[in-house]
Amino acid sequence: MEITPELTLPKLLLLTARHYGDRKVAMREKEFGVWRPITWRQYLEEVRVLALGFSALGLGRGDKVALIGHNRPEGLWAEMAVLAVGGVAVWLYQDCLLDEVQYIVDHSDARFLVGEGQEEADKALAIKPRCPKLERIVWDDPKGMRGYDDPCLVSLAEVRRLGRELDARDLEAFERMVAQGHGDDVALLFYTSGTTAQPKGALLTHRNMLKMGQSMLAVDPCGETDDFVSFLPFAWIGEQMMSISCGLMAGFTLNFPEDPETVQRDIREIAPQVLFSPPRIYEQMVRTVQVKVLDAPRLKRAAHNWALKVAGRVADLTFAKQDVPLLLRLGYRLANLVVLRKLRDHLGLSRTRHVYTGGAALGPDHLRFFHTIGVNLKQIYGQTEIAGISVLHRDGDVRYDTVGLPIPETEVRIAPDGEILSRSPCVFTGYYKAPEETARTIRDGWLHSGDIGFIDDQGHLVVFDRRKDVMTLADGSRFAPQYLETRLKFSPYIKDAWILGDRREAVTAVICIDAGVVGKWAEDNHIPYTSYAELSQKPEVQALVRDAVMHVNKGLPPAARIQRFANLHKEFDADDEELTRTRKLRRAFLEERYQDIVQGLYSGAREIHLETTVTYEDGRTSRTKHTLRVVEAA
Amino acid sequence: MYLPAGIYHETYAASHAWWQTNFVRAKMALLVALVATLPLYASLYVVSVANITLYTILSALGVQLLIGYCGQITLGHAAFIAVGAYATAMGVLFWGLPYPVAMAVGCLLAGLWSALFGLPSARIKGFYMIMTTMAAQFITVDFIITKYVSRVGGREHYFSLPPGTITIGGWPVDSEVKVYYLASALTLLSLAGMANLLRTRVGRAWIAIRDNDIAAEALGVNVVYYKLLAFFAAGVLGGVAGAVWIPSLFFVSPEHFQLSWSVWLVGVVLIGGLGSLHGVVFGAIFVTVIPELLKFAVIPLSGVYPALTERFLYVKEAAFGLAIILFLLYEPRGLAYRWQQVKNYFNLWPFAY
Repeated sequence: MEITPELTLPKLLLLTARHYGDRKVAMREKEFGVWRPITWRQYLEEVRVLALGFSALGLGRGDKVALIGHNRPEGLWAEMAVLAVGGVAVWLYQDCLLDEVQYIVDHSDARFLVGEGQEEADKALAIKPRCPKLERIVWDDPKGMRGYDDPCLVSLAEVRRLGRELDARDLEAFERMVAQGHGDDVALLFYTSGTTAQPKGALLTHRNMLKMGQSMLAVDPCGETDDFVSFLPFAWIGEQMMSISCGLMAGFTLNFPEDPETVQRDIREIAPQVLFSPPRIYEQMVRTVQVKVLDAPRLKRAAHNWALKVAGRVADLTFAKQDVPLLLRLGYRLANLVVLRKLRDHLGLSRTRHVYTGGAALGPDHLRFFHTIGVNLKQIYGQTEIAGISVLHRDGDVRYDTVGLPIPETEVRIAPDGEILSRSPCVFTGYYKAPEETARTIRDGWLHSGDIGFIDDQGHLVVFDRRKDVMTLADGSRFAPQYLETRLKFSPYIKDAWILGDRREAVTAVICIDAGVVGKWAEDNHIPYTSYAELSQKPEVQALVRDAVMHVNKGLPPAARIQRFANLHKEFDADDEELTRTRKLRRAFLEERYQDIVQGLYSGAREIHLETTVTYEDGRTSRTKHTLRVVEAA
Repeated sequence: MYLPAGIYHETYAASHAWWQTNFVRAKMALLVALVATLPLYASLYVVSVANITLYTILSALGVQLLIGYCGQITLGHAAFIAVGAYATAMGVLFWGLPYPVAMAVGCLLAGLWSALFGLPSARIKGFYMIMTTMAAQFITVDFIITKYVSRVGGREHYFSLPPGTITIGGWPVDSEVKVYYLASALTLLSLAGMANLLRTRVGRAWIAIRDNDIAAEALGVNVVYYKLLAFFAAGVLGGVAGAVWIPSLFFVSPEHFQLSWSVWLVGVVLIGGLGSLHGVVFGAIFVTVIPELLKFAVIPLSGVYPALTERFLYVKEAAFGLAIILFLLYEPRGLAYRWQQVKNYFNLWPFAY
């Protein structure tokens, strides 16, 4: 389909919804155990009344609306309605702390805030005195809202009623409103989860979003019969990419899970054809398989191990573009029939055609695992600033260490200093209220990613790491810490790792064990423990982690080998600002927060004493003391 | 219930469908085909064993309903089978009713008779229930049927039903194969009916009473009403069993409906698994087919140990008794549970959970 300069997302919705009408299901929401269908006509109808309702409440073109909530059709309708009015949608992460919410709402000049229920209404009311530009707080779920009488609160039902009133008075109002939109209007304002400073607001236009969807679908076409499960935060560009851009263009069905807790089960029920998630979802899947196999009876375990060995060899040969011997091919057939098919079924990946990972680095071992079990997992590389995607693996041309080839209408080149630059119609218009930042990021139309990488002889882009994260080792070579970290995370016992060693005499690591897996392991081996902190310092657990570290060390050049490590007394948490909301390490912050540990690892001490501040989910803090033991891995 | 990935439903009706995957549909089609074609390739002996199995399934179904789903222990089920059998036979012999009509009358009578003996369940439970249901056995079979009903028409102790007496719309049910088709059709129908009944308000009320009658009452279940309904339904199912059984007997006598048969049926349900329809089928196959197989084990041995033939019955029965004891020791939840475990083993493959 051709993207004219006038085309906007709401205009596309009008076209698509009129095309399908009641003939096709646009989205389903699992409610009380069944997937309640919503047709395209109903989808458009909901957007129409909400858009008219918002405009009746005074929302105008260019106004910002902040949205918080889980993945529910109402959230998407509200977002679409804001876009139809000509406004700009600003999604916030559901688990944002109050300060972050306040910062984003205030910085974005949001006039309205649309929240899911009482929790969001409470947050909004709490920040309202400090956000003078916030006028209205819209809520949807009436549970617990009976006693609220603040005049700025409006229920979504009331918005609908206002919309219907306006619709009855002026039948063409909605169409006129949508027709005013232009492709260069700003559609979405994303606050990128900065790994260093305060979040920056990236402005993306309708045209950015549409072009991105078009280019993506040109590489991997999706059909209208496909199913997609929407379970990742709308505040993440990847979810907008699939739910909005590709969803409208390809016309596939969005499926909303019943509850955040039932996501895994709901994905399996739908068995989507397309899936796009950050690495943590895939890391979790691999861990699930690894742990369940450890607990399986001998015969089952043997069958699994055999099948994965055979299939792994086939995957390696296929990646190397070599022929697979006949006998091995027959073995693979059998392995597929006996084990792999079943594994895909357990993970809900039995129907997947394209599975994407993006947003952070996924380890080569994880990627290999999915191709071993016959899942076509591909890397997506991109930034929010380029509408999420610039580089993508092609079918049959996936390699463990690359992220693939640029998508259509996208150019990627490497700056002399190694920085990855890209240019496409999807490059954003700038950061909101930060012209210097914008000028630094877009120079001569090229988006400066801040990532270091190179293009290999077959045109594949290889991403090294963030420029500021690349380490210089003792022997002068440069090394990407995230490579070591993702390798370590393939061990089911390691949930997170943080590699140190930039301009130091040795590489060291701080490791967060996986509480569930290691806890179960300790139970099976009769190792008593009371808390995560205690479990992490058990000598047996340290030996377990040491084995995993040694295993990773085997394949590394001597200078990059991990010499020492310490198990952290807690898991990294986004609420403690140790991770971004997309679970990327905030290294600068970590170095500052855990300077005792960094010193300890390089001072030759056997033990590290530290005192830290813990932030609880409700914002309270408390101070605790811990002793970490340093383990030699070499 | 385990389902493969990718099975999802937009309506409750679809999510409650019995057969949701092609695998299950194929399995069911295969089962029906197997049942329908069995007489084509199996010997008459196999068909007759199958008939006994089907009769056992039909008989045990009512017992399963009472014990396994409503928690009412019964040791008098043979009495209601007898009512069904006698009423059907008398309908055909004395009143000239067509067999299906006589069967319907027999079922209704058996149901009412059963509900009558279910009345004490309004007040009593457990062991006392065993006593009252045994009373039903003695009053019905040993007293009323033996003393009075059997003598109707001056035929001494049994009603003779020569081949050709029983016809369905002119189609005489006069051979083992025809009985087989009649019995299998009614068995499938009864099983399907039961399976669906258990998912309705009625079935759920029964299960609530079984799990905790006081809690059920607190939830608003009319306990007495549903208990009587359970007895009625069990009696009707017993009536079906009795009516199906008479064409292959060619005569009806009180000896067919002794207390031992009532006890046997409880055994079937226990071996198969309480609270499971699969259990009824598995239990019936087990108690019918295993003794037959034991027979084949004993006959060749009798050449070596001639004493075995002379005391053949006892050895077989002893071995069977032993089998049941072992069963209750090592498989206390019945064959249905084992079946579930086997299915789980493969469903969860290659994991354990």
